[in-house]
Amino acid sequence: MKQNYDFKINKIKNLSSEEINLRKKNLELFYQTGFPNKKDENWKFSDLNLILSNNFNKIINNDFLPSETEFKIIDDFEHNFISLLNGKLISKDFSYEEKDKISIDNFNHKNELSFDSKNSLYFLNNALATGGFSLEISKNYKLKKPLVIYNNFSNSLKETIVNHKNSIILNENSELNLINYINNSSKENFMVNTLENIKVKKDSLLKNILVNSSKCNGYFYKYITSDIKKNSTFENYLLPSGLKFNKLDIEINLNEENSNSSVFSALNLMNNEHQEIKTQINHNTPHCHSYQKVKNVLNGESKGVYQGKIFVKNIAQKTDAYQLSKALILNDKAEFDAKPELEIYADDVKCSHGSTSGSVDLNLIHYLKSRGIPEKKAFEMLINGFLSEVLERLSEGKIKNFLKEKLERQINGY
Amino acid sequence: MLNIKNLEATIDNKQILNGLNLDIKPGEVHAIMGPNGSGKSTLANVLSGKNGYEIKGVIKYNGESLSELSTEERAQKGIFLAFQYPLEIPGVNTNTFLRTSLNSIRKAQGEKELDTLTFLKLIKKKASELGIDEKFLSRQLNVGFSGGEKKKNEILQMKLLQPKLSILDETDSGLDIDALRIVADGVNSYKNKDNAFLIITHYQRLLDYIKPDYVHVLSNGKIIKTGDSDLGIQLEKTGYSNIV
Repeated sequence: MKQNYDFKINKIKNLSSEEINLRKKNLELFYQTGFPNKKDENWKFSDLNLILSNNFNKIINNDFLPSETEFKIIDDFEHNFISLLNGKLISKDFSYEEKDKISIDNFNHKNELSFDSKNSLYFLNNALATGGFSLEISKNYKLKKPLVIYNNFSNSLKETIVNHKNSIILNENSELNLINYINNSSKENFMVNTLENIKVKKDSLLKNILVNSSKCNGYFYKYITSDIKKNSTFENYLLPSGLKFNKLDIEINLNEENSNSSVFSALNLMNNEHQEIKTQINHNTPHCHSYQKVKNVLNGESKGVYQGKIFVKNIAQKTDAYQLSKALILNDKAEFDAKPELEIYADDVKCSHGSTSGSVDLNLIHYLKSRGIPEKKAFEMLINGFLSEVLERLSEGKIKNFLKEKLERQINGY
Repeated sequence: MLNIKNLEATIDNKQILNGLNLDIKPGEVHAIMGPNGSGKSTLANVLSGKNGYEIKGVIKYNGESLSELSTEERAQKGIFLAFQYPLEIPGVNTNTFLRTSLNSIRKAQGEKELDTLTFLKLIKKKASELGIDEKFLSRQLNVGFSGGEKKKNEILQMKLLQPKLSILDETDSGLDIDALRIVADGVNSYKNKDNAFLIITHYQRLLDYIKPDYVHVLSNGKIIKTGDSDLGIQLEKTGYSNIV
């Protein structure tokens, strides 16, 4: 199906002729294939081209920043924040932190394009990107409070695509709890295409949490590539239930010894929501650990996808990699696809994977009902128990409670 | 309180109960004994409203036809089944489960729901009466509990929910002597003139602690003999084969 796009580079302000040429080249490269479709192995369960055709009349780009500035703030815990509107940095507050330890700025698009080409969305991003941020934490600095990134999207974004790039660097021996918060309740359809580059240097810890404020008619694609150095840890907690479409494409490179990563995901998909989590964990060096636990509950006609790949390089002995996907399918019309992949070139490693899907155990429902609990509530309790397990390892009590409450609301359909 | 007439129950084309009759009045303790496969657990499942059974006959609970009521409505109206094999529910906190259960029943009965603090006070008191460590209450429901702990947890639920009719399905199985005594004390201290018990068991030993008013022998889906507490003692000596 041919997409009705209307992408114009001349809508982007303040570009040099050199930049215009580069962006034009990228737009041409995008036009050669259009949006990814199921013929591409990486998109075979999420035919983005078809999904957009079915839900958008046309898609345009824009560089217009609306005047809306009032957005709901999280009041469950004290935090620093960065506020983005349609991908552009509009405000920041690091008043809990020491001065000069954190650097935050607009992403500099004139800088090199530091992303490998994964698919046509990358070319589109290069052609149209206008926002995003660069965040850097100084050496030996551990943030006292978490940092919330408010991703606000205005109501005026109807049938518009937002493209932006982010860069996050944690220098040696630093720590950051990051909460990516999608803050939008617009009924309008829009698309967001984000490329994010994360560097976690020696002896550092980054916790990356993704959650949203409410149901949202946005179509999200985010590619994260990360470089994890010695003795460092990169943890991900992904709970973005309620987005119309979402694909998270996460690449984690464990590049130095004793680096660790984890991906925990809990999704309760409803109606015709569609979400995919795709991971590529590259064990490029010995003695690294990776852990993935992906849980999906599928209601209505929703679709969930997990493509998880573990790659172990020949020198990466003593690798410890684990991957588990569990899905509860509550409706005959819902679908879950899992594609676990292990590619191992070292011989002294511990790698395991598992994938199960099934329905709710009705004996458990009977047990709860026999205690006077109404059937609907019994299902909610079981689903909540199933999903909230992924938060077990999260040590920050206030954030954990915040996420647990979110999860409960997501299960109740917001 | 409970009147069962000519009850037949079939599951997967196999008829398990073949015309069972039973009357239970407030204040009474009834024991049902019988060999394996006689239909004891089926009776418990049918009374609790478990799906999958094809039912014929009449079951009246306080004058109301039980077959019209869902499992949760039965519980809300005061029927409680202590499970033979209490289920493990990962991710569901025991306290949360108990509070949701109690409040669902209170709500259905038109009573005010308990707030967290009031509930915690109440549950701690009830747990200590049964010698249950408070730590169990903050664990996932029955996950990693020993057999005895699970059974004690069932009795805790009974004492918390205060049912009118309590059905204990082989609550004694898997219990050591100390746990058996605690469970029996729990039942005895709850027993009064307004509530009734149906105790399903293989063995006499639980009945040494909880004295039944009636003992029924179930065989092939029917009650074939009814007597007083002496019948249980006799069965223990002679076995079922002399009767069945």
